[in-house]
Amino acid sequence: MVNYTEAKIYTVSRITKYIKNLFENDYNLQNVWILGEISNFKLHSSGHMYFVLKDQESQIKGVMFKGNNLSLRFMPQDGMKVKVRGDISVYERRGEYQLYVKEIVEAGKGELYLAFERLKEKLKAEGLFSEEFKKKLPLIPKNIAVITSPTGAAIRDVLTISLRRFPNLSILVVPSLVQGTLAAREIAKKIDFLNKHFNNLDFIILSRGGGSLEELWAFNEEILARSIYNSKIPIVSAIGHETDFTISDFVADLRCPTPSAAAEMTIPDKSSLVNNLNLLNSKLNKAIKRNLELKVENINSINKSIQYQGPENKINQYYQYIDEFSVRIKLRIKHQIELYEEKIKKDKQRLDSLNPGAVIERGYSICRKIPGKEIIKRLNQVEIGNEIEIIISDGKMLGKVDKKEVISK
Amino acid sequence: MKTKKKNEDILFEDYLKRLEKIVHQLEEGELTLDESIKLYEEGMNISKLCLDKLNKAKQKIEQLVIENEEKYSTKPFSIKKEEDTANGV
Repeated sequence: MVNYTEAKIYTVSRITKYIKNLFENDYNLQNVWILGEISNFKLHSSGHMYFVLKDQESQIKGVMFKGNNLSLRFMPQDGMKVKVRGDISVYERRGEYQLYVKEIVEAGKGELYLAFERLKEKLKAEGLFSEEFKKKLPLIPKNIAVITSPTGAAIRDVLTISLRRFPNLSILVVPSLVQGTLAAREIAKKIDFLNKHFNNLDFIILSRGGGSLEELWAFNEEILARSIYNSKIPIVSAIGHETDFTISDFVADLRCPTPSAAAEMTIPDKSSLVNNLNLLNSKLNKAIKRNLELKVENINSINKSIQYQGPENKINQYYQYIDEFSVRIKLRIKHQIELYEEKIKKDKQRLDSLNPGAVIERGYSICRKIPGKEIIKRLNQVEIGNEIEIIISDGKMLGKVDKKEVISK
Repeated sequence: MKTKKKNEDILFEDYLKRLEKIVHQLEEGELTLDESIKLYEEGMNISKLCLDKLNKAKQKIEQLVIENEEKYSTKPFSIKKEEDTANGV
């Protein structure tokens, strides 16, 4: 009888995880190429691909996730002979081992493709593709060279589009083989030649129309890749169609999907540049005009405030003050004069009333001693027998003092 | 080597950026009269240089003929018609 308490007991998921680890730690099962035939292929709406890879005796389940199958250059089909690269692991939910596919190559094209991959990895490791070595293209090229077949559609497209975009451009066409076993060496030599003899080139376009992998092969050769990398003149690759990637594309300073695209991407549209310049120019003129207007406005308003505060204004103010002041003084003096006149009038009246003449007129008289004309006010001024004169309103009388008599009041 | 190192070396795009900056500064309008006139003059100068750059090059389509490692010549190149290129790529 089994002793359950002593035996090690696993849960299903625990043991499945253990098995999965066995697969994943076995390097023979990781990143492995497998040759087989596709069957039961399904492209799920999620974008993942499911299929079975088989030969006469065996089969293995395969899955290629969306992230990996986007780079596929063909759609897998049942019956297709392929080489598949991937990792073998366990799908825990079902407890099934399967192949997690990274890459599928049609078996017929496999050799070239593998060579491509090997060179790509090698050059990448050497740093030939790295961004830091990519040279920048000038916005306004003046002199460019196109290495291409002189008779192909590619050169016609490049020239037509380039000149349409920038009519005054100098283009040097460098004829070359672009396919066949000699092509890579020839193109490489021409790049070297241009570097040696033409230091005024803004960049070189490597151009070739679309073709099969074999036809484009020159652009996957190491000698050309190294020449592109060593070129001091920036290199633009424009090879094949949108989906064709070559080693040259990776090394080049700029990769364009097609020859036409190369012209569109590297040659600026002169008319829009001119338009842009004109626009900036008119903005510049408007801005300076506005600036000057503001300054003039400023000067005008400063002028106004200077006039308000300046000496001229001060003097005018004084003038006005003086004017006002003189009017006030005149009034003041006039008033004063009137006051004096009034006073004089009153004084005169008082004087009039005090005039002795006027008193005499009313019946009073003045009595004076003859010798000395002393006015007699008291009895003790005169003696009996003194001669006196009495003045009345119309004359005087002469006489002698006969008697003195005190009048009691 | 190259001794003339004047405006030639300044990139068109740098000029364009400078011109845009000048326009912006003038549009802000917080400059003295001297400054704004100086900037305006610089801007006019740059825009003229830019136009010169755009118009400087001449259209020239030539074909390179390499004779040997050191010797080469050029000859005029014309875009050939479709039928001539039937065999080309």
